[in-house]
Amino acid sequence: MNHAELEEQIRRRWPGRVNMYRDTSKTLVIEPNLSLLRDLCGWLFTGASLPFGGTVVEESADEWELRHIFYGVEGGGWVQVMARQPLAVKTFPSISTKVHAASWQEREIEDLFGLTFEGHPLLGDFVLHNDIWQEGVEPMRHQFNAKTPISERQPDPDWRPRRIVQAPGAFIMPIGPIFSGIAESVNLQLETVGEDVICAFPRLFYEYRGIEKIAEGRAAADALLLAERFAATTAFAHALAFCQAAETICGIKVPARASVLRVFLAELERFRHHVGAISAICESTALAVAASQMAILEEDLLRLSGVLAGHRYLFGLTTPGGMCKDLDSAVCQKTYRKCREILAQMERLEEMLRFSSSFLDRLEEVGFISRDETLNHSLVGPIARASGVVRDLRKIQPYSGYECFDFETPGESEGDGYARLRVIFEEARQSVRLMKQAAAVLEPGPVRATIQFKAGAALGWTEAPRGAAFHWLRLSEDGRVVRYRIIPPSFINWHGFHLSVENFAFQDLPIILATMNLSVAENDR
Amino acid sequence: MNPDIFLYIMAMCGIGGILALLLPQRHSPKVIAWVGSLTALFLIGGGGRALFTTSAIEKTLWTIPAVGRIVIRVDPLSGLFLVVTGVVFLAVSIFSGSILLRLLNHYNLKVYALMYLSLFAAIVWILISADVFSFLVAWEIMSILCYFLVAYEDENDENPRAAYLMLAMSEAGALAAALGMLLFAAHAGSLEFTALKHAGATGQISAAMRWMIFLLTFFGFGVKAGLVPVNLWLPRAYTAAPAAFAPLLAGATLNLGLYGILRFNGDLLPVLSSGPGLLALIIGTISALLGILYATTENDLKTMLAHSSIENAGIITVGFGAGFVFTASNKPVLAGIAFLVALYHMTNHSLYKTLLLIGSGVVDDRAGTRHLNQLGGLIRQMPVTALLFLTGVLGIAALPPFNGFVSEWLTLQTLLRSAELLSTGQKIVFALCGAGLALTAALAVTCFAKAFAMGFLGMSRSPKAEQATEPKFSALASMAILSVLCLLLGILPTYVIGGLNHAISPVSSTNEAAAALVPPFFNGSPGHEKLPAAFLSDFHDLGAQVGQHIAPGPGLVILHRGGTKNPVVFAASPTYMFIVLAALLAVLFIVVNLVFGWRRTVTRRPCWDGGIRRLLPEMTYTATGFSNPVRVIFQSVFRPTIVEDTRETVGEHFRTAIRRQDEERHILDRLLLTPGRKTAMAVARFFAGMHQGHLNAYVAYVLGALLAGLLMNYLL
Amino acid sequence: MSQWVRKGIQTGIKTTAYPAREETAAGVSPGRPVGGDYSEQTTEALIACCPTQALSQIDHRLVVDYRRCVHCFRCRDGLAASIAWQQGYEWAGAAGDEPPSLGDEFSRCSIHILVVDAGDCGACLNEVKQLNNPYYNMHRLGFFITPTPRQADILLVVGPGTDQMRLALRKAYEAMPAPKRVVAVGTCALSGSVFGPSFVSAGGISQILPVDIEIPGQPPPPLAILHGLLAVVGRKAPVSLISPAPMAADKEGV
Repeated sequence: MNHAELEEQIRRRWPGRVNMYRDTSKTLVIEPNLSLLRDLCGWLFTGASLPFGGTVVEESADEWELRHIFYGVEGGGWVQVMARQPLAVKTFPSISTKVHAASWQEREIEDLFGLTFEGHPLLGDFVLHNDIWQEGVEPMRHQFNAKTPISERQPDPDWRPRRIVQAPGAFIMPIGPIFSGIAESVNLQLETVGEDVICAFPRLFYEYRGIEKIAEGRAAADALLLAERFAATTAFAHALAFCQAAETICGIKVPARASVLRVFLAELERFRHHVGAISAICESTALAVAASQMAILEEDLLRLSGVLAGHRYLFGLTTPGGMCKDLDSAVCQKTYRKCREILAQMERLEEMLRFSSSFLDRLEEVGFISRDETLNHSLVGPIARASGVVRDLRKIQPYSGYECFDFETPGESEGDGYARLRVIFEEARQSVRLMKQAAAVLEPGPVRATIQFKAGAALGWTEAPRGAAFHWLRLSEDGRVVRYRIIPPSFINWHGFHLSVENFAFQDLPIILATMNLSVAENDR
Repeated sequence: MNPDIFLYIMAMCGIGGILALLLPQRHSPKVIAWVGSLTALFLIGGGGRALFTTSAIEKTLWTIPAVGRIVIRVDPLSGLFLVVTGVVFLAVSIFSGSILLRLLNHYNLKVYALMYLSLFAAIVWILISADVFSFLVAWEIMSILCYFLVAYEDENDENPRAAYLMLAMSEAGALAAALGMLLFAAHAGSLEFTALKHAGATGQISAAMRWMIFLLTFFGFGVKAGLVPVNLWLPRAYTAAPAAFAPLLAGATLNLGLYGILRFNGDLLPVLSSGPGLLALIIGTISALLGILYATTENDLKTMLAHSSIENAGIITVGFGAGFVFTASNKPVLAGIAFLVALYHMTNHSLYKTLLLIGSGVVDDRAGTRHLNQLGGLIRQMPVTALLFLTGVLGIAALPPFNGFVSEWLTLQTLLRSAELLSTGQKIVFALCGAGLALTAALAVTCFAKAFAMGFLGMSRSPKAEQATEPKFSALASMAILSVLCLLLGILPTYVIGGLNHAISPVSSTNEAAAALVPPFFNGSPGHEKLPAAFLSDFHDLGAQVGQHIAPGPGLVILHRGGTKNPVVFAASPTYMFIVLAALLAVLFIVVNLVFGWRRTVTRRPCWDGGIRRLLPEMTYTATGFSNPVRVIFQSVFRPTIVEDTRETVGEHFRTAIRRQDEERHILDRLLLTPGRKTAMAVARFFAGMHQGHLNAYVAYVLGALLAGLLMNYLL
Repeated sequence: MSQWVRKGIQTGIKTTAYPAREETAAGVSPGRPVGGDYSEQTTEALIACCPTQALSQIDHRLVVDYRRCVHCFRCRDGLAASIAWQQGYEWAGAAGDEPPSLGDEFSRCSIHILVVDAGDCGACLNEVKQLNNPYYNMHRLGFFITPTPRQADILLVVGPGTDQMRLALRKAYEAMPAPKRVVAVGTCALSGSVFGPSFVSAGGISQILPVDIEIPGQPPPPLAILHGLLAVVGRKAPVSLISPAPMAADKEGV
């Protein structure tokens, strides 16, 4: 369904009750009556089958602005459903009973802004843990001072974990926040009667650093440091999304060489990330040799990045307007050739893994997520693509010139751990293919356009290695951040994490975690 | 010795009962405690003397015209049972003195005291009666008293039902056993055991009749012993029985079933073919396996112990079965060892099971529940109880240095002696049963690790468990007696074997069994046939003669010798093991203190919880969770049916509840009882269908019957 | 399975010679700026461009505080007169005046490390993870990752120390047996980097726990972390956390 058809349908369904207009870019903004909000979003989600991207709340001088963002409109377009309330009224109707994917978005907003969502059955104790924070702290409000640490704490002394399993002998297996090995901090509360996980409840945000809050008031270039550093294993993708948002606001076109370099670096990062992910999967199945071999390749790629860009995690390369520095075309070519060698080695390992039955036994039919649930949670990235939902922002909402490149988005239908592994392998292959094309079309030229900041807001997006990342940015006239909202892929996918572990045995948990490849830092922000 | 002592003991019980009736109710527990324990002490003395007398002592009480002589007779076999009964009653009587008080205003304690002491007398009578008539009369008295005692706490509706089931099944068993005895008596022409034994020995009974009598008595007495498939009553009755009575069910009345089996099939009418022995082996193994499987997954402490009694009865029966087969295969020494080991295990089971059931009664009383999912952390509130319970747990889980280890290890070793049998088929059955028992032993460790860990360790899962306190001294004393015995039987097995060698004299044709297990390292003359010089010197170097001038008896090493090919079949010395272990621990303790200083500071930190704010009791393993892997692995046995598997949601996808509940029916109920009941109902329905109420139909039946009769007459 | 054994053997030895010899492969470290004498004008420009106040002027010299440097490369790539850049990776420094080493008796022991993520972005953690890979293989030097603080000698913390991890961090530290050392890895863990101090992050782990070794860098390359670990067992000397390194006399004079 394209924009025109959508408008037509909505007019027919709710005649005269919906205000609609096209934004400058490919965005359809819909402003329904508040009473219609839930039904309209529900229809967009199920009736028009638009994936749900996320929710952005902004506090302006006198009112709340709420945006539910949908994407995937035919021909590459966005839909924003807007709702407004005076500042004094702190409630919005919840859409998550119809759009389940919005559930965590609304919970987060409730926790950070103090807004209530009428009809949402599960609010509170989300980002700010109630066993540490008292209720009523609203850190994202403008009047809240982000600089001062909060010294007075009144944690809820009677805090108890949520339990929903009612079976004789059921108990909660708490894992984390500090658990074995080199792992990020997350607390998994697994309800069980032994052996199988009946219900999984990830308690996240142990690493909440308030990126969105502390970015406010900083100059765009300094906020970029935050975008780059909040989830550094995919630093370039997030930095790119931020820069693209700023560039959209200012209406700048990035020089061609910069766009191609961005594609090259983004794919280098994806390749490195996926090799690391495969290494982690091998390690989770205790296949030590394969894990080590993959880790060798990962380190090779990290060193390659260091040689090419000066930083192993590609920090400090992109900036609003283009690139901070030019990269040598010859070095890019060399990097591509080295990547091709690494890919060849990876493919040999892939072939060997495919014939290691002990490895496959632990991946196949483990951590299954159905297509329906994937759609229902609007999951993104390799996880969604392994469950038969083949969506890739590089294809459906191309940016940075991806439309000019020839590549494929792999998809599998099984939805299990092995399907996810195959998707990751194939994506790595496609990344090298993209790097080849990018290195080939590198024309000499400027890499940075001068940027003149304007007031405004825009959405930037990238297909980060873990899936679709959305960055909403509002700048003031002097180029300072007024509102910054990140909807990272891990936040979307953690929402569906419980689907993959429930009804599987405890010993499968590390493997499922590895194949899901969720980042806590990226989620917690 | 004079068998009258046992009559006096029975009389003391009677006097005690009358005393309880005369005194006010609040003194009834004291009467039980004092009279019961005193009587029990006498019984231990009397039984002990009987155990060590070489020949049986018989006394005719009186002669009843139509029945014959009423005889009491005490031989070493009944002597052993009397001693075990005495020990169990001693502990339980002391325990009753305190635990019964909590029933004071609910139930009539006078009646309880009377029934308790009468039961004591009845059990003594069963063990000393030497004619079928008085045996059956005593057995019936015992059965009925058990029924009343199990149903005693009748405020809970479930208890009388459980008691009724027990009565029904034990009556059916008693009928079968009685039928078997009467068939036997018909051949012997007398009801006296001496006459029966004579008839059994002279071989005037056909093989088919022997089979018949074996099956009737084996399964008849098997009801009381708790053998598959006639044990469905047992877990329910144990659970229903009052805390002061349940230990007796396991420690005393269960033994009576075993006594019946051994008396009739080992002593009076020894099994001549290997068939019955193999049957006993198989039944024993299945009982043991099913018993421990259900015990492992059970979460009510008392019910768990009940299922474990089935397991132990199974292990003992396996010993009996091996003894029967070895007897039939003309291996008297091995048969003797098998019976000896079985009786060793029986003694052990009585001790630790009584201990654990008293412990479960204490836990129930102090923490308000027996359900393991609601207990936890009791070791902090009840350290002494926990320690005593732990000794029982180590015993029943067959871990050294406690008694269960010795007898289970010996049972397994005995089964391995099937190598000496000639028939391959028999060897296969032995091997399979051995494997079954090994699995049982492994599961028993899981089961009792769970019982102790979930009950006493970790965090308290209910407020009452958190506020539990130590019981009265008398309860601790009763447990302490049994704990010490558990340890002694575990570390001094060579002396126990010597004693048990007397007990098996009625069922064994040789008295070499003990000598075959315990070589005379201490008192044998070197170079003797039993103790060749080379052998002695080898084992002298290993330390087998350590302590020969201090310790009495033949030695401290259990060692079974084979032929020239493998001179030592199996060997162990729990005594030395214990001493070495204790010494090592002591040395370790000293070394650690020397190295790190006697006054080093020890820092205690809370349990590492992964860094969450507070580890809550609901975040720790429950008993269900602990045993769930066993339930999953043996799914085909448990075959749970899902009663409820629902999820509640709001707004379509927000889950608010996941309810799961499944139900298990015991495998015997599923495979035997229910199909049996259905068949019976179908047959009944068929016959009910014939009763149509029409006159002409009945006339037709009469006519048909007449014709059939005429036809038969003509044909015959 | 034999194919994996063969593959492993075929790969040969990849492991670095460090600490016996220098590692010279390209790309193992991003390098870092060096302080010293620059022209007044350059110094001012450099100080102005630094987003985290890592550069400052003391006694007419440009001083780099590595505890604050976030590898933004602005002082190198963004200006006409750029700062001197130094490769290398031996970056770990002692946090306090006390020698950070566990003591000589630990130099030949196997050391167990508990890794705690207190709000890390994933890069430092990934670099710690690389220590397990064949290139760096910290097991050969006797370092092992342990899942429980009960067996840990070193608490290795990454991230600025978020509020919701404070309790866990403190609990982990308290659960460790003595003697114990805390190693803070990454600029975030040293100064809070771009994140802190704020309403949800501490400005470095030292505000929560007593830190013994600080390893600067965003992220510090694996060899720098290895250097820090070796400093804990006394097999390498810690270096100064600021450049140019202050004279010993200056230190005493304060």
